[in-house]
Amino acid sequence: MGFESVCEQCEEMLQPYLDRELNEAERQQAEGHLDQCGYCRKRYRFEEDLRRYVRSACDEPMRAELKAKLASLRTPLD
Amino acid sequence: MAEPETNARRIAEDARDRVRFEEEVLELSDQVYRVARRLVPSREEAEDLVQDTYARAFRSWRSYTPGTNLRAWLMRILTNLNIDRGRREQRTPDMRPMEEGDYFLYNRLEEAGGSGDEQQIVERLSQDGIVRALSSVPHDFRDAIVLVDIGDFSYGEAAQILDIPIGTVMSRLHRGRRILKSQLAETAVGEEA
Repeated sequence: MGFESVCEQCEEMLQPYLDRELNEAERQQAEGHLDQCGYCRKRYRFEEDLRRYVRSACDEPMRAELKAKLASLRTPLD
Repeated sequence: MAEPETNARRIAEDARDRVRFEEEVLELSDQVYRVARRLVPSREEAEDLVQDTYARAFRSWRSYTPGTNLRAWLMRILTNLNIDRGRREQRTPDMRPMEEGDYFLYNRLEEAGGSGDEQQIVERLSQDGIVRALSSVPHDFRDAIVLVDIGDFSYGEAAQILDIPIGTVMSRLHRGRRILKSQLAETAVGEEA
C-alpha cells in the first residue's frame, strides 16, 4: 500500500477519531500512522483547533433583557 | 378525615416540583440560546424562538419526566417550534455547496501562506467568516453541527432531539463539517482575523 493511500485513509478517520467513534483496531491504526506522519498529525491538530475556534466564534451571549423576560414567563405562585 | 390533608400535601408537592422544574429550565437558558442563535439567521429570531420555547416548556412542564434529560427535552421543543415557524420552506436542496475532503481547508490555509506560528494557523480564519460560513450550510447539516459542536449534545441526544436515527446524525455531522470547511476555504481565507 502506498504512503498516499495510508494518508487518505487517515483523512477518512479524522472526524470519527476526534469524535471517539473508531473501534479499537481503527484507533490504533490511526494513532500508529499519526506517530509517523507529520503531514496528517498537523491536519488532525488543526481540526481540533478549528472545532474550538468555531465554537468560540459562534458564542454570542444572551442579552440580560431576554434572561429577565424568560424568568417573567414563570407561572406566578398563588 | 385525612383526605383534605393529603390533598393539601399533594398541592404543595406539585407546587414545589413546578418551581424546581422552572428553576432548572432557567439555569439552562444560556445553553439554549447559544444553540438557538445558530439555528436561525438573526438575534431577534433567536430571542423569539427561545421565548416561545420557554413559554411552551413552562406550560407543558407535566410532560417532562423528572430525572430524564431536561436539556434535550427543551431542545426538542425548540427545534420543533423552529420547524413549525416554517423554516423548512426556506430549504434550497439543490444549492448544496461543493464538499471537499477533511484536509482541504488546512491545505488551502497553508497554501495561502502568511507568517505565524504553525499552531495558530486556524487564526488565519476570520471569526465573522466562520459565522457566515456556518449560516450558509444547509439546514439539515447545520442542525447537526450546531447541536453537537456548539450545543455539546451527544450523537444520541441529537438523534432524539431531531427525531432521526443516530446514523443519520453522524452522516449529516460529518458531511456538514466538510461543507462548512469548504465554505470557509471559499470565503474566510485571507480576511483579517
